Amino acid sequence: MPPKSSKPADGLDYKAISKQFAKARAAREAREARDAEAKEKGLPTEKEQTEILERQRELLNTKRQKAYERRWWWTAAFWTWLLAVHAVGIWLFASGFLLTRLVLDDKSSCAAPPVEGLAASQAALDVQKGCWHPKQFDRAVVILIDALRYDFTVPEDPAAAHAFHNSFPFLYDTAVKAPQNAFLRPFIADPPTTTLQRLKGLTTGTLPTFIDAGSNFAGTAIDEDNLLMQLRESGKKIAHLGDDTWWSLFPEYFEPNISKAYDSFNVWDLHTVDNGVIDNIFPLLESSKDGQWDLLIGHCLGVDHAGHRYGPDHSAMTAKLQQMNEFVTKVAGSIDDDTLLIVMGDHGMDGKGDHGGESDDEVEAALWMYSKRPVFGRTSPEFAIPPATAKIRPVNQIDLVPTLALLLGIPIPYNNLGKPIEEAFAGQKGNDWANLEAVSRLASAGIERYRQSYFKARGIKQTVEPGSPAALWAAANVAGLSHKDAYNYLKEFENETLQVYKGLWARFDVPRMVAGVFVTAVGLVMLVMYSSKPADEEFVVANDAELDYAERRLELMNLNHEDQEVHPDQHFHRSLLGGLADARVLFVVGVLIAVGLYRKQPMDGPAALVVTLLITGVISALSTSGRSILNILPRTFWGWLSVVLTLSHSIGFASNSYTIWEDSILLFFIATFGVAALISSFRIESKVDRTMAIYHTVTFIIIGRLASYSKLCREEQMPYCTSTYYASVTSSTSAPWQLAIPFAVFLILPDVIKAFLMPSKSYEGLAPTWIGYAFRGGLFLSALYWTIDAANNGGWLADRLSESTLKSAGVYLAQVILALSLIAGSTSFAWAPPNISILSTSAKTGQLVTILGYGNAMGARYLFLPLNFLAACILVTKPMGSGALALMMWQILCLAEIIDLNQLKAESIGPVMLAILGNFYFFKTGHQAVLSSIQWDSAFIPLFSIRYPWSPLVVALNTFAGQILAAVSVPLIVLWKVGPKQRGILETTARALGVFIAYFAVEALTTMSWAGWLRRHLMLYRVFCPRFMLAALLLVVMDLVGVLVALTGVRSNTLAVCEVFGWAE
Amino acid sequence: MSSALAKAPSAPATDSKPKAAVAAVPTFDNALSKGIAFSRVAVLLGLLAAQFNDLVAEPVLTLQSALPVVAVIQVAYAVLCLPAAGSQQAKTAKKARPGEKKKPEQAGTSSVVTAFLALVLSTIATPVIHALFILFGAPFLDHITHTFLCAAHFSLLGIFPVIYARGVDSQALIAVAGLSAPLDETLGGLLGAVLGAWLGAVPIPLDWDREWQKWPVTIVCGMYAGSCLGSWLSGVVFFGKRLGETASAAKDE
Repeated sequence: MPPKSSKPADGLDYKAISKQFAKARAAREAREARDAEAKEKGLPTEKEQTEILERQRELLNTKRQKAYERRWWWTAAFWTWLLAVHAVGIWLFASGFLLTRLVLDDKSSCAAPPVEGLAASQAALDVQKGCWHPKQFDRAVVILIDALRYDFTVPEDPAAAHAFHNSFPFLYDTAVKAPQNAFLRPFIADPPTTTLQRLKGLTTGTLPTFIDAGSNFAGTAIDEDNLLMQLRESGKKIAHLGDDTWWSLFPEYFEPNISKAYDSFNVWDLHTVDNGVIDNIFPLLESSKDGQWDLLIGHCLGVDHAGHRYGPDHSAMTAKLQQMNEFVTKVAGSIDDDTLLIVMGDHGMDGKGDHGGESDDEVEAALWMYSKRPVFGRTSPEFAIPPATAKIRPVNQIDLVPTLALLLGIPIPYNNLGKPIEEAFAGQKGNDWANLEAVSRLASAGIERYRQSYFKARGIKQTVEPGSPAALWAAANVAGLSHKDAYNYLKEFENETLQVYKGLWARFDVPRMVAGVFVTAVGLVMLVMYSSKPADEEFVVANDAELDYAERRLELMNLNHEDQEVHPDQHFHRSLLGGLADARVLFVVGVLIAVGLYRKQPMDGPAALVVTLLITGVISALSTSGRSILNILPRTFWGWLSVVLTLSHSIGFASNSYTIWEDSILLFFIATFGVAALISSFRIESKVDRTMAIYHTVTFIIIGRLASYSKLCREEQMPYCTSTYYASVTSSTSAPWQLAIPFAVFLILPDVIKAFLMPSKSYEGLAPTWIGYAFRGGLFLSALYWTIDAANNGGWLADRLSESTLKSAGVYLAQVILALSLIAGSTSFAWAPPNISILSTSAKTGQLVTILGYGNAMGARYLFLPLNFLAACILVTKPMGSGALALMMWQILCLAEIIDLNQLKAESIGPVMLAILGNFYFFKTGHQAVLSSIQWDSAFIPLFSIRYPWSPLVVALNTFAGQILAAVSVPLIVLWKVGPKQRGILETTARALGVFIAYFAVEALTTMSWAGWLRRHLMLYRVFCPRFMLAALLLVVMDLVGVLVALTGVRSNTLAVCEVFGWAE
Repeated sequence: MSSALAKAPSAPATDSKPKAAVAAVPTFDNALSKGIAFSRVAVLLGLLAAQFNDLVAEPVLTLQSALPVVAVIQVAYAVLCLPAAGSQQAKTAKKARPGEKKKPEQAGTSSVVTAFLALVLSTIATPVIHALFILFGAPFLDHITHTFLCAAHFSLLGIFPVIYARGVDSQALIAVAGLSAPLDETLGGLLGAVLGAWLGAVPIPLDWDREWQKWPVTIVCGMYAGSCLGSWLSGVVFFGKRLGETASAAKDE
């Protein structure tokens, strides 16, 4: 039998069992003597009795297996219930926190201008001449260049220029050369800076709120009054080319024969959309096509995709901008005198080419308007030259709405909050104050009309103190003002009103938020109670095959008397959930739901009540089964350390600094645990164990620090942080040298894993094939994939293989790897035998059977599951991240050894450290708690285009690789160096998983509380809101992975091992 | 000598273990030693307070110039207050002491020699402490002198008294490393320095834009405060108690 150092803790058990065994052996000897007697008398012999015993053994095994499966199903049911609790808490909070805006159904109409009594010379109330104001243009061409940042369009000193500078000079040059024909100004987007929200803002003139951010993957039609709706009502025709987001926002708006939509999410493809727009737009600009359209929209995506794929500072961006320059030049030459040409960006991009947040680079787009006929003016001579930076004289994106509406002579959409852009109405000399006042008054009156309806609909009272919009409105309407003064008053009114709405739409539903926090908090109490260890329970690992064997024989001898044996925890989970089916509970729940439905109330109140009620029921069931509320108090140093690490991490989220520097803080925690484990290791009595524990601890700490070199800095960390994840700060591709990392992983990682299995002689059974060939092969293929990807990005094989050939090779390779690791891997995991080998040697006393790998039978086999997921995660992670994930696996194995050697399997520190590692490696795989760090391009690793549900799944696997790997490894910590006869595995694993999830639940609860509490904080959308969204999403993902992978994995592992060794309980 | 201090109540609980053989290091039980031990704390903290502005302005220079001063204070404290490794006071509890210098009758010279050796060993330990700082996230390639000087101060404060009192007795040092040795001024000083430096890292990330947040000012301050507090507390209040008694007891159940 494999030698296994006995641990002091085994003592009691061992003695008790061996005493029992001695007793049983005496009984058996006595029986043998009886047997001999019996044989003489012709009764059943020993042999026959063995057969009977054998049959009984099988019976017992079947019975135990069935009991186990029942236990497992109840455990899974409990975890599903937990998932529901978390989902309800998050939903309640999010529905109050993620802001929503009341959408008014009112529409503007040509016949009803907001200003009454307008002279017919101004307001013809006729679309042909201009509804509310004489129109300037018959038609407009809008070229929307996605993510056209302002600094792409203004000249930069060539010495300091990046790849994105000076490639698109046409806009600036025309504005300087012919200020009456063109102007260029910074165009500030309101966050969130995602295309869908921006299109809403650009057409309705209002401020999309944060709740819309989630719907970017599947846009929904706009039913608010908007420019396109007004055009359609006025009988004008709209044509659209490019990004298909427009089609989901404006279904059936576009002229069917001449419009053409292209898929918008294929960020790998820089050219299809742009070429489609360019090829199709010029035929429409020919004079023969007059009357086919009045508004022509061309939405180019190449610049945005080049940013997402390569980052702005890349030659692909230069090429793209040059192409746009040429394109716009040509369009400007092709339009006629009565056509207005607008070129604009819907948002900018950050240093890596991503967007979504509200950093300066993300909101600063460019706006350029052009007309062949001189119409534009400047109210001051110094405005003639376009601003050098986006900080000077910016216009809001919503200002486009009244401007375009008035220029084309259609009504301004009802919900508009923008103001007319000065240049377009100031007259060629820039002094037409009467015109400026007139358009400004129209826009302001519209805003005032909207304000009154909105306040009425929401029941908000108006204030009239000085400086309020109402007071400013009154001031602007005083008789006898000069046109210029009136214009300035109106401008002030418009600015102030916009500020009011910005504040108003940051109006949170506090009761819902409180309900969400409350439900999450109560759910957390339940989870922590569930995960606490009953004082009388111990998870003692007694890996002694001889002892196990003895115990087993003892069991069989006593079999007949213990027919009714029931597992101590057989009904634990059932009784927890059983209370929910109580008639009184069901009655109350039913009444609440019925009343809610009957009175057509919003369901948040009843839902919060019902869930709280149900949780309270589970909590009381928990208290009666030995896990009282007091039981959650830590009893050991390690318990306290878990609490301190969890709480200090979570409390830190109240500070934007600690949230920003979370990655460094997690490294600090990892080192802290390492030092505590080191101190503890010095206390181990056995010299061998002590040395091994110290070795693993030191390795653990060093790996953490090594991994910390892979980082992607968030904007707020500058200038104290250097990104290493990509080739450069302004890139989102890997540097060529980084390709060495996946190859190093392929060479080294399998051997590292082997080295962890060798000491327990568990590199047996399927392990050499699985780890040495399959896993290694998968890693090699991943490395190959990233080489192909790099070759494709860098154009290394440009003259030999086409880009599409390389892309297809990569995609199919990636599909093979995913199929190998997840599908084939999971199937084999379900069927694999334990990692053991049986050696027979003859000794003097007869055949001696040695089982290699007995002492780690549970853990070594379970390890396959995390390895499968690791292989998949490494594929979908960029080269730098694959190194980080490999280090993570190494660190997890070290952790398993540390936990085993220090006998901490029943402590909470193991799962807590796994959670910390998971979060740590989230940052080490090129992520930050900001929307723009989501690596959308990973969706295209195994696919050519967006496909549901696979694309979001791949992005999730990429984003949460660290945490998923950690969640899958929770059982590994419990099962490592645990033999096949261990009792209480399911219960201990479920508890460990509970602690693990509790860590994430605490994070969700605290980020939610802080985000709610700091809802007026300057950094809310930059720091607190994204961190809450991350924590909330993580909690749900971890719940799902916990049930679907970890618990299921434990079940299949236990079934496989116990099939070979028989059931211990 | 220091039997007056209450160490009886806690010790017997785990006496069955071999590690109990490592005894606490008492300070000399005379007025001079007590006075010096107390004034050392006052002088170190006073020095820190006096030099704080310089430390913020010129961390490297200040730490460098303070190093010999702190070394002198620590050596004086060790020689005058602590029993040197292998001297009578420390000997009572144990038998063999491998790799130990001869034991001359003259306690004075022996102490000075021991102090010198301990100083050398502490210097050797400094790169290890430096590495530990880096493992906790200190910059690796820049601020090397900052970190190294910080580590040198840590060595002087935390490591030096331990080596002076324990020598190179592996059993005792393992007990110290495992915190299973009973609390005394040396262990308390080390533990306090560790915890102080740990807590010192807490304000660094905050966006308060204060000069004193720069590396390694807060660490040095935390280290000094922690070490002084730790050695005073464990010399006077918790002398002879063992850490983690409840924890290890729970584990062994």
